[in-house]
Amino acid sequence: MPKNRALRGGVVLLVGATVFVSHAQNAPVSNVPDAVTRKTGLHVEPMARPARIYAENCEGCHGWAGISVTEIPTLKGRVGYFARIPEGRRYLVQVPNVALNPSSDEDIAAMMNWLLATYSRDELPADFVPYSAAEVAQLRKARIDVAADRRRVIAALVAANELPSPDVLSIPHASLY
Amino acid sequence: MKPISRSRFDRLIELASRCAAQRMSRRSFLTRCGGWLVASSALPLLPVSRRAQAGDAPQKPPQNPKGAFASEFANQAQTKDPTQCNYWRYCSSDGYLCACCGGGPSTCPPGSSPSPTSWVGSCINPDDGKTYLIAYRDCCGKDSCGRCSCLGQEGDMPEYRPQVNNDIVWCFGASSMVYHCSSAGLVGLAE
Repeated sequence: MPKNRALRGGVVLLVGATVFVSHAQNAPVSNVPDAVTRKTGLHVEPMARPARIYAENCEGCHGWAGISVTEIPTLKGRVGYFARIPEGRRYLVQVPNVALNPSSDEDIAAMMNWLLATYSRDELPADFVPYSAAEVAQLRKARIDVAADRRRVIAALVAANELPSPDVLSIPHASLY
Repeated sequence: MKPISRSRFDRLIELASRCAAQRMSRRSFLTRCGGWLVASSALPLLPVSRRAQAGDAPQKPPQNPKGAFASEFANQAQTKDPTQCNYWRYCSSDGYLCACCGGGPSTCPPGSSPSPTSWVGSCINPDDGKTYLIAYRDCCGKDSCGRCSCLGQEGDMPEYRPQVNNDIVWCFGASSMVYHCSSAGLVGLAE
């Protein structure tokens, strides 16, 4: 029965090849219904509301890890220092893009507390009191000269012995394009 | 019949060639050879799983009938072809699509580099109705691509709110301010 045997061999070969090919094409599964992500298997995580407020309003420049290019202030390992004195705590909310942000006072307060805990927990004072919506609402009314205010806050931090040196919070000049 | 070699593999080949020599005519060899040629070209037609490579899923009835979502863009959007302006992630993209310029919807074409800064918007995926955060990151350092010019306006704010404006060149911090194309990377899923 050579014909039969050849046929059987061929069938075995085909089945084997089919199993091999379909196994090799088992791509990782993406949770985004999208032809492109299905190919790459990209999995995106659901974001808590404060993280979303940060992503939509701050992350583009400050970076998802709180670190960005030289001309944009680094948040990671730095921003918590400001919360050590009352004028610094005020400054963080009166920075124009926080104060003038279209988000609600509740969202800003939750985002600030999330941001401080996420990017700079170690620099926060031990007795840090989270921002409340009412406090944010009050602070946002002020309009500050951001560069001058920042210099004043840093000098006050140094004077209060809360900052090892003013360089810790310095922002280097960007080079010319 | 004394085997030529002791090796099992050699003996197997020898047996096979002897069998072939004794039983097969030249014509039969040609027939088989042709058969194998046909079989090997027919192999890729077997019903194996190709979901990962599939460009287009079988056409389902549109799940986003007009007016299903609050976003006008999402009502017209599709999730298959990133080289079209109505690809769902481009709801706020203003510029040339990197996917038409040798890159992908979230990758820069060769010769250009992604800007370290971007602006973040959100688009509805019409297939699951969920809102995803999208980073609109320009690719910089190469002359304008000029292909697939699109203008999405969802959540776009005037120039006096530059952090959510798509008319300005988002190459801040990149090695060059020369704009090449716009990408739209997925950042996360909004709850």
